[in-house]
Amino acid sequence: MKNIALKIKDVTKSYQMGKDNVVQALCGVDFEAKKGEMVAIMGPSGSGKSTLLNMLGILDQPTSGTVMVGDIKTKTLSRKQLAALRNRHIGYIFQNYSLIPSLTALENVMLPLKYAGTKKSKSKEIALEELEKVGLLERANHLPNELSGGQQQRVAIARALINNPDIILADEPTGNLDTKSGKEIMDMIIKLNKESGQTFVMVTHNPDVAKLCHRIIRVVDGRIVK
Amino acid sequence: MEIFRNMWRRKFRTFLTIMGIAIGIFAFTVMGSLALKFNKMIDGGKRYITGQITIMPKGSAGFGPSATNTLPLDTLNQIAEVEGVEAVGAGVELPYAEPDPNNISLNMGVPPTIEGYDLNSTFQNRNWTTLSMKEGRMLQRGDRDDQVVLGISIATDKKVRAGDKITIRGKEFTVLGVMNKTMTGPDSFAMMSINPAREMLVLSNPFLNSLKEQSDKASQTSDAAMAKLPADIRTQLQQAKTFKMEDLSTGASVSWKDGYDSETVSNRIKDQFGDKVTVLSPKSMGEQIDKAMVMFNAVILGAALLALIVGSFSIINTMIMSISERTREIGIKKAIGATDGAVAREYTLEAGMIGLIGGIVGLGMGIIMIVLVNNKLESKGAEIFLLDTNFIVEVIAFSFILGIVAGVIPAWRASRLNLVKALREE
Repeated sequence: MKNIALKIKDVTKSYQMGKDNVVQALCGVDFEAKKGEMVAIMGPSGSGKSTLLNMLGILDQPTSGTVMVGDIKTKTLSRKQLAALRNRHIGYIFQNYSLIPSLTALENVMLPLKYAGTKKSKSKEIALEELEKVGLLERANHLPNELSGGQQQRVAIARALINNPDIILADEPTGNLDTKSGKEIMDMIIKLNKESGQTFVMVTHNPDVAKLCHRIIRVVDGRIVK
Repeated sequence: MEIFRNMWRRKFRTFLTIMGIAIGIFAFTVMGSLALKFNKMIDGGKRYITGQITIMPKGSAGFGPSATNTLPLDTLNQIAEVEGVEAVGAGVELPYAEPDPNNISLNMGVPPTIEGYDLNSTFQNRNWTTLSMKEGRMLQRGDRDDQVVLGISIATDKKVRAGDKITIRGKEFTVLGVMNKTMTGPDSFAMMSINPAREMLVLSNPFLNSLKEQSDKASQTSDAAMAKLPADIRTQLQQAKTFKMEDLSTGASVSWKDGYDSETVSNRIKDQFGDKVTVLSPKSMGEQIDKAMVMFNAVILGAALLALIVGSFSIINTMIMSISERTREIGIKKAIGATDGAVAREYTLEAGMIGLIGGIVGLGMGIIMIVLVNNKLESKGAEIFLLDTNFIVEVIAFSFILGIVAGVIPAWRASRLNLVKALREE
């Protein structure tokens, strides 16, 4: 158990669509990711892979089943505790970078520390280190719209890593990037995984990206089939 | 900094919202400073009126220049004998000048008034023991009938200083002194001995004037000549003979001895002379003034608050729109660890900043208007607005709080957004 970073057991998720229509997005899914493991989630559009990622990242609560982050059961946690868990244990990388447009690269990276209650001067120091790691120190004071897609994704990675989380969840991290930038981002993720031993779970449509992971799981119609 | 950048994203909308608040705060500042001035003025009057027992002629129309009936000297002398009464000071009050029907002006404060005092009386108001002088000195026992002390408003309006001559109702006076600004009644007073005030009262009142003329005529008519007159004219002249100038007091102020309760003394006077005079005790007068001021302040500030409520709705509207535009951002922030409280705080603070900026702009506009109007009216000594530092600080704090309050509902909605749905927003 100590070796498990993330675990979900018999998780279902259904959505009420209209009065009589219930959509079953996940149907009794079991999944676990070991510490330091890099897992790719693949599957056709609408198969439930993003819903699965939302469950793993406790962005959403399952209709039934258990979600555990490390050895913490999330079901009974309050909204505040869930926020703290997301903040300290999980980093997110989104397909469309999801930076806050009114904040500079540096301020975007500092954001998780702000919510963790870290002092501003300390946050700035740490954020600058993270930006240096992703090679964007000189762009620290630029707004997202002044950065290229690849640069924005690197800022998003720096933001995901700043609290040194155990788990990084990525939703199509290279989906919006050209091949060269996509490769750079994947190289960076692989390097981080090797160096820091953090667990990476990523949703991807790209088999080349998936091949770089330790394990690939496929989701079809709300079930893991492989 | 993020707050300002977010506000800057939609410049025109932010500008309109800020102007909505600014107009509300402008109204609040102007109305508030008007109320401040009135409160200060009324407070001065209240302090005065509660520092004495006021005696008015029975059936008098009210205070001051509107009083038409008079108090006979005998009655005042008898009141002075009531247990607990220390001194009685007869007074005459009348408008500084006859109203000019061709030049009707709306006076926002105490109108210029002649105050005649019995300088030989030992009466002393308990709350207004002294009035500070800008120049010259205050009236005192033994001063001549052609000496006058002016309030700052009259002195400024008439452009006179201590030592200058001034003509009031056709009579020339020497200005003995000019009082410092009190922001209340005395600013509009021309204070003099009771004798010239009585003369002016008679001249201003056709009935009294005719009575005095008949009285003068009667005193010049010998008893023998009187006996020859027709009966009706003789009766009229004999009645006129009883007219005495010292019976002409439009009001009197009564002080009570140490150790006596003002209400008890008031009630004693009321019991003995209630059929002849109206007695206004300090307590009842204070209560009446308080009641009137509560109504006045409620009406003035209520109107300004209405403008502010409209302004605050514009903040709510702006914040709701802003939040719907930034739904995805809220989702991102929550995904990376923002608690509901943190999200609510950010948006509440943003609304507070809109309120604050609107407040500063509105306050600035208000101050400009107040200064311009007061400068215009200063030459007449009739400033209608009063601004003080406390009020300015309160207005700024109030506008910030208003923004915060207006932001609470939108911010709460933002904090409760469904995370997954928010992240799906484009």
